Amino acid sequence: MRAAWGLAPILLCQFVFADDVIAIYPSPASVAKGTTQQFSSYVAVSPNTIVWSVNGVVGGNSMSGTITPAGLYAAPSVIPMPNVVSVRATSTVKPAVFGESLVTISQPTPWVWSASPNTFTIGSARKIGLNGSAFIPESVVLVNGMPWMTTYVNATTMYAVGDLPAAGTFPVTVAQPNPGGVVSQPVNITVTAAPPAPVSVSVNPPSANSALSAATQFTATVTGTANLAVTWKASAGAISPAGLFTAPAAMPASQVVSIAATSVADATKSGQASVLLQTVATPPGNNGGDLTAGRFLEQAAFGPTPQEIANVQTKGISLWLDDQFAMPETVIAIPAQSGSVQSLTLNRLTMAPDQLRQKMAWALGQIIVISMNKNIYPNEYVPYQQILSKNAFGNYRTLLSDIAMSPQMGKYLDLANSNKPGLTGGANENFARELMQLFTIGLNKLNLDGSNQLIGLLPIPTYTQADIRQHALALTGWTYPTAAGAAPKSNNWENFSAPVMETRSANHDMSAKALINGCNLPAGQTVQQDLDGVLDCVFKHPNTPPFIATRLIRSLVTSNPSAAFITRIATVFIDNGSGVRGDLKAVLRAILTDVDARQDVAPPDSGRLKDPVYFIVSFVRMMNGTIVPATIIPYNFVAMGEPVSNPPSVFSYFSPMYRLPFNPALFGPEFQIFTPTESVVEANMLYQIVHQPNSDPAIDLSPFVAVAGNTSQLLDTVDRKFFYGRMPAQIRTAMATAIDASYDNNQRVETAVYLAALAGQYQVQY
Amino acid sequence: MNHRRDFLKMAAAAGLARFGAMNALAQASDYKALVCIFMFGGNDGNNLIVPQTQSEFNAYKAARGSLALPDGNAKLLPVTAAASGTPFALTDGLAKIHPFWAQNKLAVVANVGMLVQPTSRAQYQASAVPLPTNLFSHSDQTVQMQAGIPSSSASTGWAGRVADAVSPMNAGKSFPPSVSLSGPALFSKGNIVQAASLIPGFDMQLYGFNLWPASAAAARQAALQQILTFNSGLTMIQAADKVRQDAQNLSAMLKSLGAAPPLASVFPGTSIGKQLLQVAQILQLRPQIGLNRQIFFCSVGGFDTHSGQSWQQWDLLKQISDGMLSFYNATAELGIADKVTMFTESEFGRTLQPSGTGSDHGWGSHHIVMGGAVKGGDVYGKFPAMALGGPDDSASRGAWIPSTSTDQFGATLAKWFGVDANGLATVFPNLGQFGAPDLGFMG
Repeated sequence: MRAAWGLAPILLCQFVFADDVIAIYPSPASVAKGTTQQFSSYVAVSPNTIVWSVNGVVGGNSMSGTITPAGLYAAPSVIPMPNVVSVRATSTVKPAVFGESLVTISQPTPWVWSASPNTFTIGSARKIGLNGSAFIPESVVLVNGMPWMTTYVNATTMYAVGDLPAAGTFPVTVAQPNPGGVVSQPVNITVTAAPPAPVSVSVNPPSANSALSAATQFTATVTGTANLAVTWKASAGAISPAGLFTAPAAMPASQVVSIAATSVADATKSGQASVLLQTVATPPGNNGGDLTAGRFLEQAAFGPTPQEIANVQTKGISLWLDDQFAMPETVIAIPAQSGSVQSLTLNRLTMAPDQLRQKMAWALGQIIVISMNKNIYPNEYVPYQQILSKNAFGNYRTLLSDIAMSPQMGKYLDLANSNKPGLTGGANENFARELMQLFTIGLNKLNLDGSNQLIGLLPIPTYTQADIRQHALALTGWTYPTAAGAAPKSNNWENFSAPVMETRSANHDMSAKALINGCNLPAGQTVQQDLDGVLDCVFKHPNTPPFIATRLIRSLVTSNPSAAFITRIATVFIDNGSGVRGDLKAVLRAILTDVDARQDVAPPDSGRLKDPVYFIVSFVRMMNGTIVPATIIPYNFVAMGEPVSNPPSVFSYFSPMYRLPFNPALFGPEFQIFTPTESVVEANMLYQIVHQPNSDPAIDLSPFVAVAGNTSQLLDTVDRKFFYGRMPAQIRTAMATAIDASYDNNQRVETAVYLAALAGQYQVQY
Repeated sequence: MNHRRDFLKMAAAAGLARFGAMNALAQASDYKALVCIFMFGGNDGNNLIVPQTQSEFNAYKAARGSLALPDGNAKLLPVTAAASGTPFALTDGLAKIHPFWAQNKLAVVANVGMLVQPTSRAQYQASAVPLPTNLFSHSDQTVQMQAGIPSSSASTGWAGRVADAVSPMNAGKSFPPSVSLSGPALFSKGNIVQAASLIPGFDMQLYGFNLWPASAAAARQAALQQILTFNSGLTMIQAADKVRQDAQNLSAMLKSLGAAPPLASVFPGTSIGKQLLQVAQILQLRPQIGLNRQIFFCSVGGFDTHSGQSWQQWDLLKQISDGMLSFYNATAELGIADKVTMFTESEFGRTLQPSGTGSDHGWGSHHIVMGGAVKGGDVYGKFPAMALGGPDDSASRGAWIPSTSTDQFGATLAKWFGVDANGLATVFPNLGQFGAPDLGFMG
């Protein structure tokens, strides 16, 4: 009775508000990524018209999923973080009335139909095949809750290997990883006590290299009998009763020697190994044979590819640079979708043959910044990338001019529609400020070697707020291009149909301006004349050469360049040898051929932390891999603090002035976005690439697979590719132990490649 | 008392083990935490708190038109400003935290925003004083509100600089003191203190170390340890390896959450709920972490309500207040309710005058502060007159010129947090422009 009374008020409430209710079904819901869910609504509002929204956005979007006017929800193809979204049906006549379903975006729920075999005997390295549905490459087979080494075959087939240490009945499930992780319903397998094991013999190491006359120790492991004795036999050379093999003094007919250990208890069982005889022992690594080319390509490109290393070694650095300077510019197209910009950028950085141009454009883009977080459409952003690319080997003054007059920068830093003081307020100071602070001269007066000029202990500011106002006045009078067919207005609406903004004399401040560094603009100049005057002034400022030299060296070579290095580059910026200031081609050549950059023996404070984009792109290039034009990996860089083409502000992803954590005497700009979380997100992305080498990005592990069974050769390959022959012996030893503990050749390769990539020696370009 | 120093030395040498060992010391020391909830898009403060004196409420209703509360969605919950006795009302989107007003743990700071110096309507309209750059622009004002500096030329955030200022109180601890739960945030970056972000629910497990056979996994892990601790003699490499070691330690700490008794407080499954749950779980680890001062950044998006504002804003505020209640209960459970202060920020407020079913970008706005250390039950700062084109309006649509600067708002929190006068001047370089550096809302 009490229970029935308890329900009454709830029913009453529903009755009272019945005409103001929208209910939607299902609620809550769980939808697998990339799949659809039909929502239905019960609308007790008259008229019963509703609008569907996801996370407050009518119709949704690609990040949180879309929904049609008929309520068909399509979950995003990438699981959002957090992975819960709100789907709502809202009354169009009473916007306050809505029904909501909280939808969890999950991985596809896997189903296991059968396990084969489904009975086992106790033991290790048991292999099980699974048939089911919705398997994905990241799926993990769990037996009794423990992960097994899982091999994905296709969406309906996987197999896994693991240990079955006890008898009993155990559940087998398939788990998808987080976020949105789900676990299948179980199927059971039965494990019975093992029958008496047959005798078996294994030999370690399974393969080895040996010089002529050299000795190699083998050991035999006998199972299935108490009698552990074996007899040894070698097809050439000699082997002792204790398994010590001595290679012959002269090369026999076959370079490969077979070793066999036969059980004394059961002479039908034996284990095998092989020895590859070599006239000269393999040196560790390759003694740095790729060091010069590899280091150079880390600076001049987004890291080396195998072909590019050979290319540099054949041509030499100077000719390679000539080739790159002469190479046709890779076309940068303006895609239809904003989301494509990031994908195309990553594809280009990885695959474009004109790597030097890509590298320089990227470096310039860290100095002169536009972000798609404000310029959200492709035509508001991509022309900026084109300007950087076009001017990468040109003159810095031309670059400044192209950028300043572009409607893209006009929007990003508000130069467009910045009018002389009047009814619309003062002249916008945004571009004037960043032009000085970030694009040319910086905050403090510099010496030629990049150090601050000081009065006493204090640096000397390059400009004051009053100076900025003068520059801002000089830069008034620009507006967006006039749209086709429209009448030109005093202040045009945002428009990006032309590469250069239009001038409006009526909006231009005509007074004389006193700029910094003794530059003066007379009264009555045109919009264009005043802009040219401002750009000339900052371009010719004595700060610009050391300021830009320092920034470029930090991006390309080292976070802590010597004063002499900066001086040499600043001097080339001032005069390329033919009396031209700001020649970026000459500056770039000077940086990359500088004695400090070409110092292959690293001084203690040298080097640059690889930023996340560079880290992943250069890894894919080293692995002779590909990132496709429609790659879906850009999303990954958000959580690493380097969302491609979306830096958070005009200061880009990280500050060039950021100090090394715990060592503030040194700069370490990239460390600003290399905190523990970002380091793990980055490592996990790399692991997924290694673990699924045929996915996107695709990499070629065959040089490692070819030597997977031989620890020494595998480590030599790792040393050559990752460290250019500089792998410290201690790291080599540590990795060898881990490789030898691996279960099979695939795991040996994964262990070697993944551990090498996590080492600071690979994380830093030095 | 050489004990403590030896203990620290020993603990430092013991790596991860130190987190367990430091328990007793950390618990004995003082502790404070700040939790920022940033409302991205520009929250309409005009419908967060509504004046209830008859004349101002009438003026509010006349100017707000279709957006005036109460409406079909949000009801009004009465509150009284303690000092003046003036009646106000909160939107019932804040129903879950409304009871804290009467308990003096919830306060509103009126009309806060970015300023270079105190600014009047006449000064603003005549451009007679310097102003923050690019007012009314999302991207610029988001940077400025997080930086606490009225220009977009900022590379550090005010929380990061607060963490810099109190870094002696956190000496020797490896856990990041300034943490974003909402992606890398300028707010959290300091000059000394490195910004850190944690992803709610992500225990920072490195992939590829949970494999079969167990012996291979152990060997891989052991090799990584040796690689990361090998001294190459190269500074950059050492620094990179240190970050990965810190990540391993952090991950171990986050995983130990699984072993901790779950919090009794139930958190909503919303994004902000998950962020605040992660903060609460970190607070639960406080004894192991050993930090004495921590600042957290959480966020909720969707406040750019140019249309459909009524239900959208009500719902977003409900998500926030539901999360705040759960979080407060968690801090009470942990015995630190009077040591943790929550507050809101947003890049700007919105126009009092509606446009269609929404409102446009404004400037000053009202913000909430909540926690056991808050002198709650009151409205701080000067509430704007509800008049379009009135004395507080920058133009004609009710985009309020802030009467309290973000510097003062932040400095009041920072002072409670333990930043001294010199430190405040560094954290908020413009603070000297404003009369009262302490608004008095913290106990």
